[in-house]
Amino acid sequence: MTHIVVDPVTRIEGHLRIEAEVDGGQVREAWSSSTMFRGIEIILKGRDPRDAWAFTQRICGVCTTVHAIASIRAVENAIGAQPPPNARLLRNLIIGAQCVHDHVIHFYHLHALDWVDIVSALSADPAKTASLAQSISDWPLSSRAYFTEVRDRLKGFVATGRLGPFANAYWGHPAYRLPPEANLMAVGHYLQALDFQRQFIRLHAVLGGKNPHLQSFLVGGMATPVDPDSQNSINAGTLAELSKLVADARDFVARVYIPDLLAIASFYKDWASTGSGVGSYLAYGEYPEGDGAQPALFLPRGIIRQRDLSKVEPMNQEKISEYVKHSWYNYASGDDHGLHPFKGETVPNYIGPKPPYERLYLDRKYSWLKSPRYDGEPMEVGPLARMLVAYASGHPRVKPLVDKALATLGVGPQALFSTLGRMAARAIETQVVAEKMQDWVDEMGENMARRDYRICDNSKWEPSTWPAECWGAGFHEAPRGALGHWVHIKDGTIINYQCVVPSTWNAGPRDAAAKRGPYEQALIGTPVAKEDQPLEILRTVHSFDPCMACGVHVLDNRRRELVYVRLV
Amino acid sequence: MGEGTPLLVLGLGNVLCGDDGLGAIGVHLLKTWYQAPKGAELVDGGTLGLSLLPLLQDAERVVIIDAIRSAGAKPGTPVHLRGDDVAQAVRERLSPHQIGVADLLDGARLLGCCPRKMTLLGLVPENLTLGVGLSPAVERAMPRLVERIVGEARALGFAFRRRPCDAEEPRLDDACDVAGVLGLRRKGR
Repeated sequence: MTHIVVDPVTRIEGHLRIEAEVDGGQVREAWSSSTMFRGIEIILKGRDPRDAWAFTQRICGVCTTVHAIASIRAVENAIGAQPPPNARLLRNLIIGAQCVHDHVIHFYHLHALDWVDIVSALSADPAKTASLAQSISDWPLSSRAYFTEVRDRLKGFVATGRLGPFANAYWGHPAYRLPPEANLMAVGHYLQALDFQRQFIRLHAVLGGKNPHLQSFLVGGMATPVDPDSQNSINAGTLAELSKLVADARDFVARVYIPDLLAIASFYKDWASTGSGVGSYLAYGEYPEGDGAQPALFLPRGIIRQRDLSKVEPMNQEKISEYVKHSWYNYASGDDHGLHPFKGETVPNYIGPKPPYERLYLDRKYSWLKSPRYDGEPMEVGPLARMLVAYASGHPRVKPLVDKALATLGVGPQALFSTLGRMAARAIETQVVAEKMQDWVDEMGENMARRDYRICDNSKWEPSTWPAECWGAGFHEAPRGALGHWVHIKDGTIINYQCVVPSTWNAGPRDAAAKRGPYEQALIGTPVAKEDQPLEILRTVHSFDPCMACGVHVLDNRRRELVYVRLV
Repeated sequence: MGEGTPLLVLGLGNVLCGDDGLGAIGVHLLKTWYQAPKGAELVDGGTLGLSLLPLLQDAERVVIIDAIRSAGAKPGTPVHLRGDDVAQAVRERLSPHQIGVADLLDGARLLGCCPRKMTLLGLVPENLTLGVGLSPAVERAMPRLVERIVGEARALGFAFRRRPCDAEEPRLDDACDVAGVLGLRRKGR
């Protein structure tokens, strides 16, 4: 039995740490820990609820829009503000853009490197690479000349000795299985995806101005005016620009991302039966298609239990609770029971080892993440949860796309409950959302044609219009999964604020009943060919799209190793 | 490609983590106290990774404002980096996610775009734990940091003009208040 420590799993020091026991080439036991304290709740107490989104937006540099959305929804829910259709459509477009952008980046610039051996790409034959690329897609950048150029560029890059994104990886590891040509094709698409994301994110600038933190959110709607006759508003020109960006995204996803995903997956089909996890899934659902308190959602809300795709349970937020039995917090009423977020407490109690340390005290408290549970059960959240809930609900677009991907790979629906299933779900969701975005652009155009320029419900702006005491929950599907904000307001100020973020659901520790969290469960049985290079552990954890980036990142002149592994 | 920005002043850091927010606060103070000349763009980049890449790529000259640790130096000590040191420091910094601008800057290098010349002006932080507001030593050093930014811009050919102050100069701690940095100042608050 070898005890392995992988810290950090993300490329940030001190955020996510996995400890695992490996025996006979397999993970037998696993613990997931976040070693950085987070507590936005403490900062928000006593503030104006209308300001909360601007603070929560700063929790994470990558997820700015998602915390803003969840926050304004929570406050609107509490005070009864009702955003008009144009605000809903603008938000859908912002959310959809974030989803497409993040998924493409996650696949090409983080996760692909767990499957694609960059060093092997150096020895690829560009002619063979071109014929491989042309056999899977009619994408134009697939010529022999193009891949020759990519290979030469990669050679030049490696020759500089500054490997950048390709440093500190496990090149040549026996678990890499793609032929050199597939590796070179992926390097080419890595570069194209770089350029794609740079263009596509301009969508946020089109909607929200030059400030990289979108300032256009507002409790009750949006701050961006809609007016066909004004230069500084959403007008016909804006809609044309959005349509162009959306069309480019649809094209890139359908002709590059999806074919690449299927090509890579075909070499790694054993990963369709690895990394299954807890087998229960929660989706809050996203993209309201109507207005009012309970609008229909384009991607449905629901719960799937124990891999049973024959039924989708309705989601009842009252069944959500968070445990701290193995988290560095104390509850006033004791740690054996969970608390609903409205009653949530954030009182730190670090009783872990003093850094630097070899091992966490795994039988006690071992993480800064709490353990969220639904009806007492751990739930996986994220693209796979959303696609499974949609698939099991018979979603008219998700269902055929999932079936098609399964047929292409020659596997059944059970293959979805896996590391590879998470990757496929992410790609399919990207396609579904990229396609849907045009509908929202068109609907805005129709509203403008009808002279409906309403963008904000101002009737509840003044705190004097609010109940003296009120509670609200805001649900959002962030790219990496279900995000909830809960706010308790009294006399116009915030009394309590709790965020339950996707990585808490997925990466949280064991609960009071010692049930493992989704990362921990998914790692059980994961093969480990080389204990000092646990590439396979990274594959499964990365398939969840981990993010712990909510803390401090100060410049440091010391050069750090990006991922280090210790055998203890 | 967007139209080029002749000068980008880019504050980095998390305003929810004490002195880590000094870059964003520095840019806010610069905006409050000075009139920016034509061609200069002032941006609070927060901990945004990826989304900053177009900004960086479109800019001709970049002055980055940030918290920088330096062995043995006291909180509030000024730090000034140039050339390769900045590129290296920025690589470290711009990775708030598992994939950050670090990788993308390298990707840009792989694509054949050369990183441009950058300057970094900063202060040594004291407190980086969760919470809003600067520590006293860093707060006292902020006006001098802003003057250094103005001086650096002048050396690059951009003249910032001090705004005429109203009846009363606001207190430094009010000027540094995070609600203002986030654009939340409302009348009567």
